[in-house]
Amino acid sequence: MANDMLSGTPPAGALRSSWRRLTAPVPLMGWLLGSLGAALLELAAGGAVAGLLGLDKIPLLFGFLIAFKQPLAIPGVLAYDILVYLLPVLLVGRLSAPPVNRLVAALYRLPLVVSVLVHLGLLYAALHLWSGVSDYRVLMLNLMLIAIMLTLSLNLINGYMGEFSCSHPGFMALGAYAASIFSLVLFVDDRIFGQALLPAAAGPWLFPVALVAGGAMAAVGALVIAIPSFRTRGDYLAIISLAFLFIVKSMIENLELVGGPRGLGGQPGYAGLTTVFIWCVLCIWIINNFVRSTLGKALNAVRDDELAAEAMTIDTRRTKMTAFMFGAFWAGIAGGLYAHVLQHVTPASFDLRMLAEMLAMVYFGGLNSVYGSIVGALSLSVLSEALRPLELIKWIFIPLLLILVMIFRPRGLIAFKEFNVRDIVKPKA
Amino acid sequence: MTFFFQNVVNALQYGSFYALIALGYSMVYSILMLFNFAHGDIFMTGAYIGFGVATGLTVLAAAGTIVLPNWLILVLTILIAMFLTSMLGMLVERLGYRPLRDAPRASAAITGMMIGLILEYGNLLLLGPQRRSFPRLIQTVTYDVGGVILTNKKIMIVAVSMVLMYALHLFISRTRWGLAMRAMAFDHVVVPLMGVPINTIARLTFALGSALAAVAGIFFGLAYPVLDPYMGIVFGWKAFVAAILGGRGSVMGATIAGFMLGFIEIFVAMVFPSTLRDLIAYSIILGILVFRPHGLFGEAYSARLRL
Amino acid sequence: MRKGLLFVLALLVVGLALAPCAGAAPKVIKIGINAPLTGDIPKVGEESKYAAQMWLEDLKAAGGINVGGKKIPVEVIIEDNESKAESAVKAATKLIKQDEVLAIVGPQASKQAIPAGGVANENKTPLISPWSTNPDTTKDRPFVFRGCFLDPFQGPVVANFITEEFGFKKAAVLYDVASDYPKGLAEVFKAAWEKLHGAGSVVAYESFTTKDADFSSQLTKIIQAGAEVLFTPQYYNEVPLIVQQAHELGFKGPIVGSDSWGSPETTKLCGAECSGLFFSTHYAAAGATGATKAFIDRFQKAYGYEPADVAALTWDSLRIVQKAIESANLTGDIVKDRQAVRDAMAKIQEFEGITGKMTFTEEGDPIKCAVIVRISDKGEFEFYKSACP
Repeated sequence: MANDMLSGTPPAGALRSSWRRLTAPVPLMGWLLGSLGAALLELAAGGAVAGLLGLDKIPLLFGFLIAFKQPLAIPGVLAYDILVYLLPVLLVGRLSAPPVNRLVAALYRLPLVVSVLVHLGLLYAALHLWSGVSDYRVLMLNLMLIAIMLTLSLNLINGYMGEFSCSHPGFMALGAYAASIFSLVLFVDDRIFGQALLPAAAGPWLFPVALVAGGAMAAVGALVIAIPSFRTRGDYLAIISLAFLFIVKSMIENLELVGGPRGLGGQPGYAGLTTVFIWCVLCIWIINNFVRSTLGKALNAVRDDELAAEAMTIDTRRTKMTAFMFGAFWAGIAGGLYAHVLQHVTPASFDLRMLAEMLAMVYFGGLNSVYGSIVGALSLSVLSEALRPLELIKWIFIPLLLILVMIFRPRGLIAFKEFNVRDIVKPKA
Repeated sequence: MTFFFQNVVNALQYGSFYALIALGYSMVYSILMLFNFAHGDIFMTGAYIGFGVATGLTVLAAAGTIVLPNWLILVLTILIAMFLTSMLGMLVERLGYRPLRDAPRASAAITGMMIGLILEYGNLLLLGPQRRSFPRLIQTVTYDVGGVILTNKKIMIVAVSMVLMYALHLFISRTRWGLAMRAMAFDHVVVPLMGVPINTIARLTFALGSALAAVAGIFFGLAYPVLDPYMGIVFGWKAFVAAILGGRGSVMGATIAGFMLGFIEIFVAMVFPSTLRDLIAYSIILGILVFRPHGLFGEAYSARLRL
Repeated sequence: MRKGLLFVLALLVVGLALAPCAGAAPKVIKIGINAPLTGDIPKVGEESKYAAQMWLEDLKAAGGINVGGKKIPVEVIIEDNESKAESAVKAATKLIKQDEVLAIVGPQASKQAIPAGGVANENKTPLISPWSTNPDTTKDRPFVFRGCFLDPFQGPVVANFITEEFGFKKAAVLYDVASDYPKGLAEVFKAAWEKLHGAGSVVAYESFTTKDADFSSQLTKIIQAGAEVLFTPQYYNEVPLIVQQAHELGFKGPIVGSDSWGSPETTKLCGAECSGLFFSTHYAAAGATGATKAFIDRFQKAYGYEPADVAALTWDSLRIVQKAIESANLTGDIVKDRQAVRDAMAKIQEFEGITGKMTFTEEGDPIKCAVIVRISDKGEFEFYKSACP
């Protein structure tokens, strides 16, 4: 505090309150418009600004990738971030606040769907423009959106139902392989499955069917865990699910038909940013509705006290079965997208390391919270990618950070918080 | 028949490792109700500490600075490594688990995983990526008993492991400290109120478990003399399976489950094509839990088991 | 609020002033390295990195790559792929899009090389994987090459060698079912052996899973089946364990391996147990002559240990890239240059590498001779025999 006074900058408290005063009247749409503006600005003048600041090219990930390798570029990168991202977002967001608030209020009076769609459209436009600069961004966004789906579906089982399920990479693998086989058999001339059965042009249109097939496969696999869960609970169920993961991996390794440990490749590139974005939004929307429904509340009841839930006429078997199959279904869809984004899958990818990453995202973000899952998946994915240039140090830094979060917020960053869409798209002031 | 007995010998040795590691896992799990996912990496660190001590002593002995026969080096290595690793275990407890004692159990599980990662990558940073060769402290002597091949190492590993497990059993069932631990396993809310020092018990639990992991690590180094920083991952997760399969509140159950896991893996590979080993072995584990939903020796389901 | 804005603006001005002025960038040739510096196989990553650093030193000393009589400075960009498929794809994309490399060397393991190769091929950037033996890596990908031979070649070489050398009829195989390289080689060996000695002559075909340390059950089965020789195409961390356990269980026959044995770590970890055993590989470190020996000595001096095959293959791959660049017609336009380098690489008829002489097939795979190496009593890899396709 004293230091702040001495150096002449306003004290932290005043800064924070002026920041709050600055941002309070801006609705979500204002920020989205700001982001869109920033993305447009980067597209139009990003290269020029970067050149002016002494950077070779537009920094791809807010400059993290450059900063660790060339510390001299840090001022340039910072200036770029402020000029191209921070200032436009703030300016557009703040200046447009009054008219945008009126617009949002008008939309708000219409059915909720309209507002949500407009917001999503803006978000997508911003992402699309931002990622248009480089395939690297597209890839990163795709994997991040897939991570959100995985985290959310795992939170359904581990957070909302309170089991410690270790089988999620297994579900994902089932989905990835089932969807890949569907695409490869029908639309690709391929060494393993021979001639394509349908014209390749139909592929993108039937891609949702492939994904749903993957999800369904994973859901059927989930029965192996869901049925024992009627009697076996808690820690014992945790090792059933772990055994399931080992079994799935071993099974795929032994199936020569799908390539065994060599993996399965050549999936057509149907999973562009648009597709992944739509599926991710669908996933968030459906799971959010699910957990707010009676069935979703039943999950919480089963978690808190199974006997009491049973006494309150909750069909605990049906509840558990639904949760496992539903969670696995979305993990399967995410797996199918993952396979089509990378265009190659091997059983070795679905290992204990992936499990640890998924669990970390769920518990870091927060249990029992759609918000938390999104925040957890996004922040850990970005952090992990941004710190990759640090090599070994990264794997000490991120665990330390997670331990600190666990100590100070044992339930995760944003736990037990409802994801209320109506609140989010509300006009401010 | 010799074929069968040979595999019994193989499984006994292999099961000893699972049992020793699962014991440490199971103690923390039974007494503090925590998943100690760092335990596999504590085992790895124990092996590396043993490697460091043994290499150091061997070099000194070879240089003639001190006169030590190999067996004494081994005993010293085991004792020093047990001591150092139990210090590490207590440190892990203090920094990673004590702040989380009242948090959801899964949070502590995540912390454990992260401590494991730090141990792995700390090791990589310190020692580099080369695999290490554990010094061969014992000259292997092979005995042929009616076609079944035994080695002195195998006999020692199995015998010492069993002695240690029995000693732990006596400690838990006969001493005051053991009584306190059992009481804590029974109820860790009321028992501390009755004057049992929960922090001391927690420290003791971690220290004992880590010491056993260190022994497992050194024996592992003797039997399979290639050490790498990731060697604890698979062992850790499989010991997790054994510890819980044994049943909560049953430390000895973990021993039996550990040996059982060893037997299942070895015998499945013996009877079926070994490519299908994991598939069949873990289907058996899954089957056991479907029919015995509370593990082999665990208490019946109670709400306390929730995460 | 106004103060805050002023502060930001002041920061900006300072930032602009500090930033060096952008000028015409010096023309450099950038080569990307996509290596597993963290994750499952950090040793492989480290050796790739060191080989690349040595290569860079050479070029720095020479003042750059000699293109059409002009020296162009070289920059090597090393990206960590964490030994994960998705990170390898990210790393490759970043190298191609952000760093605008002319060519990529790596990833090493097939699990990452196949998807990353796909990215490189789509973006028309030449990529050479020094170590990946999976056919899918280069299949139908004009821009993807490799620096090592394929599995189908090595299997028959070993099978023929055992038959000629020992005259055995019954062989056993022990391999890692979860790892594609050992599995592929095991299959090829089995087929080759059964072609020589009839069906059923591979009396035991046993497997385990990555990171297993105990092979007693499988080895007991192998001994029970009466195998005369054991073929195990495993990596240097498993070989000492397999050999030691086989001997302890009373296996008397020879144990033969493949190029994955070819790391000095094998003998360091294995000790006397491994002496007298044979394996097929790309080059023999002991008794190496000329450039190979120079490379090994230099590596040893710089980094303190003898390089494994992966370092030598990375070195060769870099030299292939260098040769292609030297003969290509570079224009300064990255898209055209990548195409030119690719074409030049495909045109390389013969290449004298430290891992042997090689030529490339249509698929981008090299044709080169294998050598059979014997591990001497001193633990050195001695040249024993050479076998060409």
